[in-house]
Amino acid sequence: MGGFSVAFASAVHGGLDRILGQSGAEAVLLHMKMTNDLPDPAEFHRKLLTLFGAQGTLSLERAIVKDLAIRLSWSLSLLKIEDSFDFSETMRAIEKGAKA
Amino acid sequence: MTTRKYQAQKPPAQLDSQTLTAGSGAEDLIETRIASVLGLKQFMQGPIRTLLIKGLAGTGKTTVALEILKAAGKGKGAYVSSRVPKELLETHIPAMKETLHNQEFLDIRLEDASSVLDLVMKLTEPKKYVTIVFDSWDALAKELDPRERLRAEKTLMALAHNSGAQLVFVSEEPTATTIDYLVDGILELVMVEEQDRTVREFIIHKLRGTKIPQRKYIYTLLEGKFTFFGPYTIPDYAKMSKITQRPDIGGSYSFGSGALDRLFGGMIPGSTLSIEYDENVPYSALRAIEYPPIINFLSRGRSAILLPLPGANDEMISSILTKAVGKGVVNDRLRTINILRTSDLKTASLPKNATPQEIHEIVTNETAALRKKSADKSVLLVKSVSALENLFASDLDSLLEVTSQEIITLQQSHDAHILFLPKDSPIRSRILSMSSSYAKLFVRDGTVLMFGVRPHTGIYALQHLEDPISPSLTQLV
Repeated sequence: MGGFSVAFASAVHGGLDRILGQSGAEAVLLHMKMTNDLPDPAEFHRKLLTLFGAQGTLSLERAIVKDLAIRLSWSLSLLKIEDSFDFSETMRAIEKGAKA
Repeated sequence: MTTRKYQAQKPPAQLDSQTLTAGSGAEDLIETRIASVLGLKQFMQGPIRTLLIKGLAGTGKTTVALEILKAAGKGKGAYVSSRVPKELLETHIPAMKETLHNQEFLDIRLEDASSVLDLVMKLTEPKKYVTIVFDSWDALAKELDPRERLRAEKTLMALAHNSGAQLVFVSEEPTATTIDYLVDGILELVMVEEQDRTVREFIIHKLRGTKIPQRKYIYTLLEGKFTFFGPYTIPDYAKMSKITQRPDIGGSYSFGSGALDRLFGGMIPGSTLSIEYDENVPYSALRAIEYPPIINFLSRGRSAILLPLPGANDEMISSILTKAVGKGVVNDRLRTINILRTSDLKTASLPKNATPQEIHEIVTNETAALRKKSADKSVLLVKSVSALENLFASDLDSLLEVTSQEIITLQQSHDAHILFLPKDSPIRSRILSMSSSYAKLFVRDGTVLMFGVRPHTGIYALQHLEDPISPSLTQLV
């Protein structure tokens, strides 16, 4: 896995952990069968929606993005995640930026 | 359904997506289900997704939780046990065996928090289970540090609110914990000492979005089932049914009520039963003890004398008793002496300022007259001490003297004597010392409670479930 992939996987754990706690984060990833594989952002988003609904998913995804931004030393102001946002789109943008 | 040990990696067979049905629908509104169990339907306007049932060991938390689970409907509830296996639980609460068979039972005694949260996701995601009970949540939560516990609880709340499932947490932690602030509703079950007897009480600490006009209710676990008692309601005497005559019990007179007979074993001829009551006991509750013996005495061809409670409505007394035994019987073998009504005193050729002795003479004369008309020469005397106290407030010693004379006279006869005695009566202790049996009525949380002091009995909730005249007594256990 490359730098972004490692950072993304860690951010998913970190973001979920921050909101749901360690056991909650583990449970979500276990439930999504994503304990080993890197989650596909779109699939991940869909599964979160099923479990936590729109508002819960937004909070969790925002926490993941914040965690990722810190790991990659990005400024959060560039990501526009204050209101609702497209998680997959944002991930793609961060990945693209990280590779650039 | 069968007991399963939860396996974190493998979804339970019952949760296979192809076998699952859709969401529970409007008919399964959570507030309706809780309400039906707690009998609080009229108070439950808000949706209660998460409920905490707390209380010390032995208060009946599991029974209440299982009642809520039962109300979810067959196959729509899951019981997650961190304390005991299913077989043991069935032994502890046999009345709930069927409920346990009808619902999913998940044994998580050896599971960690993340596995349990994963389990909840599996249970809530397919929307098959409308109620999931955690018994107990503490057992798991205590393994987590405070921050981790809070986050795990928030995860559970989010899962519940998104899925529409209701999560019921059972807790033995008496103090407020993090989950107290997160759940929509909190019920606490407590056992309190009342008159040397144990009374169970549930307290509604919160029900979000719901008016709570009364926070405390009495309940019983009789026959292993949760039964709660709403505030006492005055019976509708228009719904009075035909009275069934009750035979004597061995050598004792029946009270005319199965419930009272079971409690006291009947009235021994020559005995005096004193009914002590708190000032907030409704008169209609007292009438449930006052009327059945009179009606039964009259219907068995015997005679009765009634000195009614203060404020008693003469027309209503007459109407109820006439409806029960017929006008002829009432006119012939019942004498109602309203001592606060001057016309009665005039009829008996007594001055307005009659003395206790003069009243006693009326009663003695009436007893003698009615004895002749009684099938077996026995007479029942039902008397309100309060009414007499009101009349002879300045001469209570004479009243006591006359009352003791009556009790002694009655002991030598085959008559029966029931005295209604207010708790704050100045002659209470003297009357009670002369009474062969003694029962108390009082009100707690709006429920009228009754127990025998002599003979010693358990404590009972008094209602009018079958007939407005007769009391229904449900034991508090």
